[in-house]
Amino acid sequence: MLEPRITDVISDPDNDAGSVMVVGGGVAGMRAAVDLAEAGLKVYLVEAAPALGGRVAQLGYMFPTHDCVLCRGTSDHGYGCTRPAISPAFQDKNLHPNIRLLTLTNIIAVDGQAGDFRVTLRHEPRYVDPARCISCDLCSIVCPVELPSSFQLELATRKAAYKVAVRTIPDAYVIDRGPYCDDCGRCAEVCPTQCIDLDEQPHESRVRVGAIILAVGYDLSDAGEYEELGFGRYANVIHSMQYERLASRSGPTEGLVLRPSDGKKPRRIAWLQCVGSRDQKHPYCSSICCMYATKEAMIAKERLPGVHAQVFMMDERAFNKEFNAYYEAARKKHGVEYTRARISYVKEDPATGDLILHYPDPAGKLIQDRFDLVVLSLGTAPPRSAKTLAEELGIELNEYGFCQTDKFTPLETSAPGVYVCGTFLSPKEIAETFLDAAGAAGDVMRLMSSQLGRNASSREYPFLSIGDEFPPERDVSAEPIRAGVFVCRCEPSIDGVIDTQNVAEFASTLPNVVHAERLAFGCLDPDLDRIRQAIEAHGLNRVVVAGCSPRTHESLFQRVTRQAGLNSYLLAMANIREQCAWVHESQPVLATRKAKELVRMAVNRVSLAQPVHKLHVKPTDQALIIGGGVAGMQAALSIADAGYNVTLVERQAQLGGNLRHIYYVAEGQNPQRLLRDLINRVRGHERIEVLTRSELKTHTGRTGDFRSVIVTHAGELDVETAVRHAVTIVTTGGEEWRGDIYLLGRDARVVTQLDLEEIIVHRPEKVAEFKQVVMIQCVHPPAEMEYCSRICCTNTMKNALRVKMLNPNCQVYVLYKNMITYGFREQYYTETRRRGVIFMRYDEEHMPQAGRRPDGQLEVRAWEQVFRREMILSPDLIALSPAIVPSPGTAELAKILDVPLSVEGFFQEAHLKMRPMDFMAEGIFMAGMAHYPKFIEETIINAQATAGRAITLLAKKPLYYGGPVAVVDPVKCVGCLTCVRTCPFEIPQIQADLTGVGGIIGAAYIEPALCQGCGTCTAECPAKAIQLVAYLDAQLMGETVGAWVA
Amino acid sequence: MANTGNGFEPEITAFICIYCADMAADIAGALHIQYPANVKLVKMPCTGKTDAQYILDAFEHGADGVYVVGCPIGNCHHVRGNERARMRVKKTKKLLDEIGLGGERLAMYFVSGGMGETFAHAAEEMTERIRALGPSPLRELQGEPS
Repeated sequence: MLEPRITDVISDPDNDAGSVMVVGGGVAGMRAAVDLAEAGLKVYLVEAAPALGGRVAQLGYMFPTHDCVLCRGTSDHGYGCTRPAISPAFQDKNLHPNIRLLTLTNIIAVDGQAGDFRVTLRHEPRYVDPARCISCDLCSIVCPVELPSSFQLELATRKAAYKVAVRTIPDAYVIDRGPYCDDCGRCAEVCPTQCIDLDEQPHESRVRVGAIILAVGYDLSDAGEYEELGFGRYANVIHSMQYERLASRSGPTEGLVLRPSDGKKPRRIAWLQCVGSRDQKHPYCSSICCMYATKEAMIAKERLPGVHAQVFMMDERAFNKEFNAYYEAARKKHGVEYTRARISYVKEDPATGDLILHYPDPAGKLIQDRFDLVVLSLGTAPPRSAKTLAEELGIELNEYGFCQTDKFTPLETSAPGVYVCGTFLSPKEIAETFLDAAGAAGDVMRLMSSQLGRNASSREYPFLSIGDEFPPERDVSAEPIRAGVFVCRCEPSIDGVIDTQNVAEFASTLPNVVHAERLAFGCLDPDLDRIRQAIEAHGLNRVVVAGCSPRTHESLFQRVTRQAGLNSYLLAMANIREQCAWVHESQPVLATRKAKELVRMAVNRVSLAQPVHKLHVKPTDQALIIGGGVAGMQAALSIADAGYNVTLVERQAQLGGNLRHIYYVAEGQNPQRLLRDLINRVRGHERIEVLTRSELKTHTGRTGDFRSVIVTHAGELDVETAVRHAVTIVTTGGEEWRGDIYLLGRDARVVTQLDLEEIIVHRPEKVAEFKQVVMIQCVHPPAEMEYCSRICCTNTMKNALRVKMLNPNCQVYVLYKNMITYGFREQYYTETRRRGVIFMRYDEEHMPQAGRRPDGQLEVRAWEQVFRREMILSPDLIALSPAIVPSPGTAELAKILDVPLSVEGFFQEAHLKMRPMDFMAEGIFMAGMAHYPKFIEETIINAQATAGRAITLLAKKPLYYGGPVAVVDPVKCVGCLTCVRTCPFEIPQIQADLTGVGGIIGAAYIEPALCQGCGTCTAECPAKAIQLVAYLDAQLMGETVGAWVA
Repeated sequence: MANTGNGFEPEITAFICIYCADMAADIAGALHIQYPANVKLVKMPCTGKTDAQYILDAFEHGADGVYVVGCPIGNCHHVRGNERARMRVKKTKKLLDEIGLGGERLAMYFVSGGMGETFAHAAEEMTERIRALGPSPLRELQGEPS
């Protein structure tokens, strides 16, 4: 992708009405950009830094999955691993054709209005042409200036000529010409492709776009503000992001955590929570620190045997899917110690560099303790650019400096046409950032519905393309194999070590090779032309490029191969740069020999290669949505407004779900108005068909072409409706658990918070009579796994405040385990305490007991942790916060859809962090409480995200699937079920309509739309009945793999 | 067999996954971390694709050593392809012991994409180990001139 040259207007006048600007190239911006691009809209992705990646690029691992973020979401190699969600849309030579990437760019002015913005951009010079940079590192080697690396958070150094990380998007170096650069010009002199231009000037450009999405992220709170904690004064006090780099496999120590003062392995590490959160200056919760500290402590425990890891915290806010189990594992399995204390100061022992903390022990006595390393769990602050952006775009910020939106339009800023997502909206973790981003993209798709699919991109090939840009494919099946080998000299990167002439000569002697030549720089235009010409001139039908890494360049050469009329799978690469020349610099003879072997192997492999074609389907214009609550209605409206048809199925007689019973919210808006508005719009929409009293009976087919039968219970009669649809969305919700606990259902004075809300709204006079109300949090089915239901604490605050408002003299007690008022909801906790509500923490060992005295008076016995004694309360009403559980029928529905459930019983997403709205089975999505308990605004975001994701499929004409997948030869299949058992994704099935070996009934079938192409089944199939296309057994065996002949 | 000077230079085949292992190999390259040039890298979509047959076949064709490199356990791109591979490598090692080739000529490594040093170290470790073990006994059986 070329960076813009100096021009006034870089928009394409034919397409600019269908363009969107995404500001910020972190995970949120990338996600939003890809979804928009996939829906056929043009995207300008603007990033101030030299490379994509944002904060997530600096993380080593994600909680609670402990996925290494290297391949799941960093600029290190541009999302190679989250397919099909984000990869390969962000690989340097395979950037999505609808995305124009503008790095080192800032917005300086915005005019116009929704649908027609004119944005003025300023581009800072990179001094390096990314299209010609070959990442040879020579500029950096000769650069005399050494600086602290901001990517490694000052824990390592870099040169002024540098690359942010080893792999970046764009995959190019940048010259940092700060005051330290003495303009020696050596970098430009040494560059072998002359891609450095030190005279490059900053320039401005103007772009026309229809909508803007702000994904500018957050800043870390300033650790220096907390002088008493010693950051910047004591070497062994570091902040949490620095710890992330130390623990990251791509960090300065490849994951070794060492003390900054003496490089020793720490034996005792302390994490101090809420630094820059939940205090006077930052009166909100940063939402992520509890979990990342737990992650960091757990990784410390795994990496440093015998280490003592202690977390000092106020509450443990583990409030999302699987978080509670994760926290429990940290405590019980890994032995991470949690201490409820807020550390007010840190002292250093100057002799040892150890740090001394004071805190109360469980008995309340102040003790002193030594640690070798203290990690400050820094909170999130609004991004530095927030104020200028707000002024330029005319958007409002909230009292904390984050972007202001309305609860019921949670991704719309106060400026129409400008949307927001990710941590600029509020502090949040990666999964929610992705939901926001996909949701904002969904919002834009709705706004720009007339433009959808206008620039439809295609996944027909292994690289991304805009359809029809290639000549017809040549049928090579009858031709003898004619392979061409192109050896890149990449001087001096490859040529400096390997005798490329020798390699090319050797290649020309190999079987099937009819042409071999050396290229100067295969990746640059003149040599790309040469390859195309050689394919034609020599009638080549197999191509080998020996050069740099296929990770960065394979898609480029696949494209060239296809441009020359060959199937892209008739190309193979041999990596003789990163995996040969650069790692054997002192052994040129052996390196040359190895390069020859790698070429020989590639020739053999490509000689055996067969063309691969993906399958395709033209998706219907129809979506099926199961569940008519907020999530279902919101998703239906988003999809219908974008121009597609929706069948909305609801089991109840009325639409609305849980929203029908919610009368007010902590933030003050009226949810009943939202309910009426949603129902009226859904009922009145020409593209939405509503089936109430209806349920899904069967569901078959694949993405783009599902067939379902819906049963409607119309009195005595059941009516069946057949629906053909391209996507399926599950929005079946959840509900309060109402089990036999704390006299619930046996005494009318014991109610749930939802019941209390009914009382407050419909019988406020009753509230006036209460003298004492006890609220008990975390009421969950006794024998079952406990998880945090997220919304209860804030709902309890909301009801407690109402009770206090109606009856200020009423005593309100809240018995809780951890107060989960995350994000800006912290204000309701603060307000509730200010109003005199009394909070008492309990734990598993001291569960509150509720009963009835002989006189009928309710009684609650609770352990008071500060005074260390039992308190006996005599409430008039007990309000419980029971767990939110999946709707009845969830398990049955999962069976019909053939999708998995999570440990908590909710639907299981494709990936907990990266794909929270998708099922693993393509074309099926989820939103709302069917995924996990969530607030109304979160449900709306989730629904919009799901709608957006669904539209990316609906807008595809046609939709491609399959390709390099596992294929069963049924006549060899014995039906032994080995593939069924070993597939990590549970894709293979034995189908009775297939005939196996010797005519037996039934053989394995692997659905190409679902197969992930790992080949595990092929390696275990005892009958060798399965082959992985593009990785055939013959290609991975034989003489070239085992023997060395060169 | 290559003889550079007087020492035996082992010929080794490494099956690597295109996710973490290939990435780590690239990182080793980008950082110019040096390791012996005795290893041929064979790319696979996942170490779960490592058929025991591939390993045996490589030995049969003359490899002195074979190793497999995949993503760290728990971080496999394909969830648990690397666990399946680990199991197969374990079984194949046993088989190699039984047939007299020696299970120590086969190994599996787990690296994360950023771990260039570790990837290079694996190549070094295997090369040294096989160098010490000497040429594959299969070569002598097949009467290869040395």
